[in-house]
Amino acid sequence: MPSPSVSSPRTIVEALRGDRRRRPRTERNCAPGLRAVLEDGIYELLKKVTPPEPLVVRASSLRQPARTFDISLSPHARVRGILVNQVLRLLSVAAPMSDPFDDALRAWRLEVTSGELRDFVDQLDGDDLARLATDVTAHSVTLMRSLGPVSPHWLARSAVHAHLLLCGGSVVLRDVVDLMVGTTNGDFASVALLDVTTSPLGEGAERTMRYHALIQTLRTGVMPLRTSTFSTATGDMWSLDVDADLLTRSAHEVLATLSDVLCHA
Amino acid sequence: MTTFTLRRNNPNALNDLIIHAPGDAASLTDDHRRSLAARFRAIPTLEHRRLDAWAVEHAGTSGRDFRWSPSSARRLLGAAALRRLVRRPGLTPLEAVNDEITDQLLRHTSGYAQRGSLAQWLSSLAASELALVSAAATNWSTELRELGEGLDVEWQVCRSDAFYDVARARTTLRAHRDLEIPREDGRVMLRVRAGAPGKSSGPGLRSELTIETLAHPKGLAPQRFIGVWPDAGVVLSVDGTMADLRAGARDLVRTAAVQRRRALKTAA
Repeated sequence: MPSPSVSSPRTIVEALRGDRRRRPRTERNCAPGLRAVLEDGIYELLKKVTPPEPLVVRASSLRQPARTFDISLSPHARVRGILVNQVLRLLSVAAPMSDPFDDALRAWRLEVTSGELRDFVDQLDGDDLARLATDVTAHSVTLMRSLGPVSPHWLARSAVHAHLLLCGGSVVLRDVVDLMVGTTNGDFASVALLDVTTSPLGEGAERTMRYHALIQTLRTGVMPLRTSTFSTATGDMWSLDVDADLLTRSAHEVLATLSDVLCHA
Repeated sequence: MTTFTLRRNNPNALNDLIIHAPGDAASLTDDHRRSLAARFRAIPTLEHRRLDAWAVEHAGTSGRDFRWSPSSARRLLGAAALRRLVRRPGLTPLEAVNDEITDQLLRHTSGYAQRGSLAQWLSSLAASELALVSAAATNWSTELRELGEGLDVEWQVCRSDAFYDVARARTTLRAHRDLEIPREDGRVMLRVRAGAPGKSSGPGLRSELTIETLAHPKGLAPQRFIGVWPDAGVVLSVDGTMADLRAGARDLVRTAAVQRRRALKTAA
């Protein structure tokens, strides 16, 4: 079983790409087995309790237990996370940035025209807005210094959504990968996933990394090469090479999360 | 009987669906077109009616007023970028998308862009907003190219969606289509959608098959119409049989009838 390690390449992108000569062959056969593990487990769980609505699992569901209050879920922290992700999206297309906060806020407002968080930002007074701007700028500077240039030849995609239905739609697995590079069509594995968080890395981040890899495998049928997470709070990056054990472990973590949710529903 | 086939999305499954598409496809004659037009004319409407798979899937509810956004622009820009990529394989998806955006901006600057067009909307955006649009379109273009490159057969990017104006019925039908796979004895069409398919995605896909056939100059149905939902990792296909074409036409007429009923209820 691989364990997370603090990587020391010069940039995030270098760590994601790794050594091209050491890449394994593309693995295309493990998705059906993982799906079977998940569906068998879910049927066992749903035998005991039948929820009235589909159960939705997200990466955040695996980050902390269902009943725990997490300070990173406050509106301020959520907006900060969203805006730092917007900065990543802009960097992925090599957009020149003069003011990360202003650019990210403009981009986000173009995409999101209503909602709880939009209202939260719109009603912030001058001091609170300045505090948010300082916070986002600090995190963005860490990201910009660490990311490195993203070559367009690596087929970078940002905010890649997944929406998988299991057991006839009783369970929905949702995910958004912040940055994805590589192709699923090559003979050698090249897809690398990156999650950017504004919180310090912890056990939950490790589960999230595995979850991204699991969802990507189920979505495309191709096992990714690597899954990574970068904290703009500490500048740490964790990276895991994906293998069948890691994916099976993540499938069991999803089942454990579902069990936890059902027990406390 | 409807011939839906549901598969997990991977290159093997998609190739299998294309290679094993039925050899013969149905075709619609002038009589079929006249009959359909008569049915639409029987459902009066005060304003021009526009029907597509979305309307069929959402029981005739007209969506919110259209406005340009990164997610509504990405398909148009992404597909146009992929056409550039096919013509000039040295380009990357990001470069192709940026070239397409530049062309749109030039169209606006030179005065060729209409009010409410994509070019006009893009010209109103700040640099960071344009970059976000570029990121969204690059995602779409890359996803579409990955799909095409995974195919073992020759494919081409569709020039536009399929449109069909129903004669004297104030009705326009529209079908989304992204890739065309030409075959010796016909064609297979491929359409990509975001999100996950719902319970009514089958009828939506079937109605697109019918519209695609109506829009064909000779009324020839594609041998298979394939819907791909990359986010959900699912592929759904329907064959170009007469039964499916009829069912698709019925879905469209039923949608128009529901829209009419709803309009009357609102007026009352």
